[in-house]
Amino acid sequence: MIIIGEKINGSIPSVAEAIANRDADFIKQRALVQANANATFIDCCASVPEAEEVETLKWMIDCIQEVTDLPISVDSPSPDVLIEAYKFCKRPGLINSVSMEGDKIDKIFPVIADTDWEVVALCSDDTGIPKTAADRLRVFDNIMAKAKEYGIKPSRLHIDPLVEMLCTSEDGIAMNIEVISTIRKQYPDIHITAAVSNISFNLPVRKLLNMSFTVLAMNYGLDSAILDPTNRDMLGLIYATEAMLGKDDFCMEYIEAYRDGLFGPKK
Amino acid sequence: MSKIDEVAALVEKGKAKQIGAAVQEALDAGCDPNEILNKGMIDAMGVVGEKFKNNEIFVPEMLVAAKAMKVGVEVLKPHLSSGSTGALGKVIIATVAGDLHDIGKNLVAMMIESAGFEVIDLGVDVPIDKIIAAVNENPDVKIVALSALLTTTMPSLRDTVAALNGAPFRGNIKVMVGGAPITQAFADEIGADGYSEDAASAATLAKSLVA
Repeated sequence: MIIIGEKINGSIPSVAEAIANRDADFIKQRALVQANANATFIDCCASVPEAEEVETLKWMIDCIQEVTDLPISVDSPSPDVLIEAYKFCKRPGLINSVSMEGDKIDKIFPVIADTDWEVVALCSDDTGIPKTAADRLRVFDNIMAKAKEYGIKPSRLHIDPLVEMLCTSEDGIAMNIEVISTIRKQYPDIHITAAVSNISFNLPVRKLLNMSFTVLAMNYGLDSAILDPTNRDMLGLIYATEAMLGKDDFCMEYIEAYRDGLFGPKK
Repeated sequence: MSKIDEVAALVEKGKAKQIGAAVQEALDAGCDPNEILNKGMIDAMGVVGEKFKNNEIFVPEMLVAAKAMKVGVEVLKPHLSSGSTGALGKVIIATVAGDLHDIGKNLVAMMIESAGFEVIDLGVDVPIDKIIAAVNENPDVKIVALSALLTTTMPSLRDTVAALNGAPFRGNIKVMVGGAPITQAFADEIGADGYSEDAASAATLAKSLVA
């Protein structure tokens, strides 16, 4: 499972404060705890006005790179910012994100085409977030056509089917599952990701819903997730589920993660 | 770290993919093949068994260690004088008639083999006459190890041990038993020579029975 650590995001009030005060230790600490929790990428989102965003991201990326060699997920809604900010990274990471909205893909794909950068692509377009699985899959097909045009292999794409809150859904996660399983069948090598915690907005004990969603979605092909890797129960559940799905020979990864103290009783 | 210590470390960690190359390196460095086997592998499995007994490692870790050793032994075999592997003698192992459980029996077989025995595995649901026949075909067999996992197949274990106890070859073999419901008291009662409660202890027991 690819884990994109979500703890360095300016939309989190304590992180916003650290960014405003240029509190480097705070950012470094958050990078370090996620690296120690086996994150695959460290997400880095400034959430500041676009005019200050590139400079803010540079400061944040520098902080992260001082304490870990993990690749960074450069997170911004603006393609222009992404094109500037990804250059600050010492090693190829993840562009987070593009979609079929406006000219996002046409700006980003040519820039990363001949690199090892990976990219998150959301199943939305100029009509917004489609309501039905068929319409989301149509957006997905358009993304794949662009990827092909620019020579970006499926294995460099993290498709986000766009998980929305469960409490207003009429069919639970059935529509998401249809999107995930259809994509997985068509492209065995593609990554399918989700901002897991979206599922539980406006409901109590969100952790249970986040965990339930993760297990169910992994069963249909989710292999990447944006979440808090320091959530020990979630991390343990992910290792357990990988073992259940036959992706962990002799449960050795589960055992190793347990030995590393990533889940289970604190030693 | 010596080349043999490297082999031992890879056995203990169950690194089947790396062990072949490490054994070859040890051979190339001039290590004695028998020492690679005994110190690099059998002793390493002893450590693994001890850790398992002490609840320091889990079953799959023991399993991958034994698998790694097997891969290593394949590389070593052409360099060993015949009879070096399985030097402690032959062990016949079986799950008794009426009982289809094989996971525990297989673990025991693996650990006994890793301890330096040659194992003849008759499988599960094995009738008494088949076990008797196997001993007759292998007059040099040292131990018969029998497993029963269910309370309902304990009588079958009792009958099997009774048949072995009445056989003319009984003085030449030792009989050891095990399985979830089996206890030392039951083993004594039915006339077995030894009982052990897990796969690692079974290997230790087998060694002590032939010592």
